[in-house]
Amino acid sequence: MAKSKRRYYLLALMGIASVPGLVLYSLVMLGFNIGGIVLASLSVLTLSWIGWEAIGIFRSLSDFNSRFEDGSNVHFHVPQGSVLERIATKMNHYIKKQDDSRQQMQEQIEALDIQVQLSQRQARNTEAIIQSIHDAVIVTDCFNRVIVANSKASELFDFDLDKAQYKQINELLGVEKVAAMIMTAISSKTHHRRNDLEIEIDGQLKFYNSTFSSITDESGEIVGVVSVFHDISREKEVSRMKNEFVSHVSHELKTPLASITAYAEMLVDGEAQDDESREQFLSIIQTQAQRLNRLIEDILNISRIESGLVKVKKDRASVAMLIRDSVEMIKSYAAEKSISVIEPNSVVYDQVNVDKDMISQVIINLLSNAVKYNKPGGTVSISVEVLEDLISVKVTDSGVGIPSDEIGHVFDKFYRVSSNDKVAKGTGLGLNLVKQIVEKVHGGRVFVESVEGEGSTFGFELPLCATEETAVI
Amino acid sequence: MKKILVVDDEIHIVQVVAIKLRNNGFEVITADNGQSAYNLAVAECPDAIITDLQMPGITGLEMVEKLRNTESTADIPVIMLTARGLSIDTQEIDKLSIVACLSKPFSPREVLETLKVAVEPLAV
Repeated sequence: MAKSKRRYYLLALMGIASVPGLVLYSLVMLGFNIGGIVLASLSVLTLSWIGWEAIGIFRSLSDFNSRFEDGSNVHFHVPQGSVLERIATKMNHYIKKQDDSRQQMQEQIEALDIQVQLSQRQARNTEAIIQSIHDAVIVTDCFNRVIVANSKASELFDFDLDKAQYKQINELLGVEKVAAMIMTAISSKTHHRRNDLEIEIDGQLKFYNSTFSSITDESGEIVGVVSVFHDISREKEVSRMKNEFVSHVSHELKTPLASITAYAEMLVDGEAQDDESREQFLSIIQTQAQRLNRLIEDILNISRIESGLVKVKKDRASVAMLIRDSVEMIKSYAAEKSISVIEPNSVVYDQVNVDKDMISQVIINLLSNAVKYNKPGGTVSISVEVLEDLISVKVTDSGVGIPSDEIGHVFDKFYRVSSNDKVAKGTGLGLNLVKQIVEKVHGGRVFVESVEGEGSTFGFELPLCATEETAVI
Repeated sequence: MKKILVVDDEIHIVQVVAIKLRNNGFEVITADNGQSAYNLAVAECPDAIITDLQMPGITGLEMVEKLRNTESTADIPVIMLTARGLSIDTQEIDKLSIVACLSKPFSPREVLETLKVAVEPLAV
């Protein structure tokens, strides 16, 4: 079957090929010049070939254009053996290279895009970290421009955080010495620098520990500074209070100790000239030793209560009885200063569940303070009041009083009202012990009211025992 | 008999120093605060003063400063007793020409010896 088909094609081709011969033969027979005819025929053939090729190129360009627009498989298609085949091959090779290059660039752009997103996320994270730091932080570049700062810094140095970026640090900060420190950190090329800083804020002196750490690039060049300002005002205050405490306690411990050693030496040296003097010396040694012991006990009691190691022995007790016993103990001290002590009114029910020794110590501390800071000939009055399920005890004196700006601190450990140094000595432990015993050990509450120059009222409230329990007892 | 002013707000300290000095031939006058001590010093012109540093009202140093600024008491030798230890301003001590600063607890013997040196030209 295939052979017979090929034969038909061959015969058709021969038939078609014979057509120009027959046409030429007819034209010669009709008297046309054979040379002209041949020339004309060649021209027709050449034009036909050129036209054919042109159509091929046009089709290739058209095809390329449509593929280019589609963006798919862009290359020239020219008929095989065509004069443009070599050019098209080179063009296709060039296009292929461009295509590969474009592909690579696309991939690089995508990679860069991911990098940009990651960098942006990292920048946001870094800023969030800086914002979350409790210290004031300012990051500056090598031109002393602010790159980032946190809200603590804007609060501390009082600048608008939204307008801070890229501002010169010396223009942004009102505190000249801080700007100078940051600028010095850059110019001095030191990697780490520390400074203690005092800044006055709203008339109050605050203390900061400032650290300036340089940021370096890959080549080790300093390109910026991270400045961190850590508030150490509280630590300074604690340190000051501790030093003051050591000074006070040292004085308070040494005073009775001085009496003890001096009188002991006098006895050893035979300076007591009679039995009465000897007895007096020994008595002083004894009372001063007891005073020393009380002071040490006060310090230890506060320490024990604070650390939760105190041994508490709670029993039912009458507040009136505890007050009466305490007044008895303080009477001679009050008499020395000609101060009269007015005992409390009686109440119907005053039973509390307390550590008797501790609450006695609370009352004695309040009474002895009321005497110590009183004016000669003054009064100390005690009152008791029942408020539903609480009992309230108040100790009122006619003494020097407390300035209003200091009253909030009187129960603080080691705190002493500054003007009280002129009146009497103390450690600043007594009222703190009162607060610890009442509030921490017994779940009560301490309070104070005072008018400077007129006197003070210190008091405490304790929960009353339930009356049913009393009935059973 | 040389007159010595002893000043301390702790009555037992005043007493023990006074006994020691009286037993050793000194006349003793006493005060329990800085202001009284200054008034007494101006009135009695003692030969020497033994005073506590930290007292209610004006302190020992403030009292000595007042004495130094008063013509009649400017040259009285002063011995300071102190329980403070940590915060003594030594420059202030030198400026006020304080003869000696003895720390509490002190020895009455040492106080006596120091006093004798301080008042040597006048010593008994």
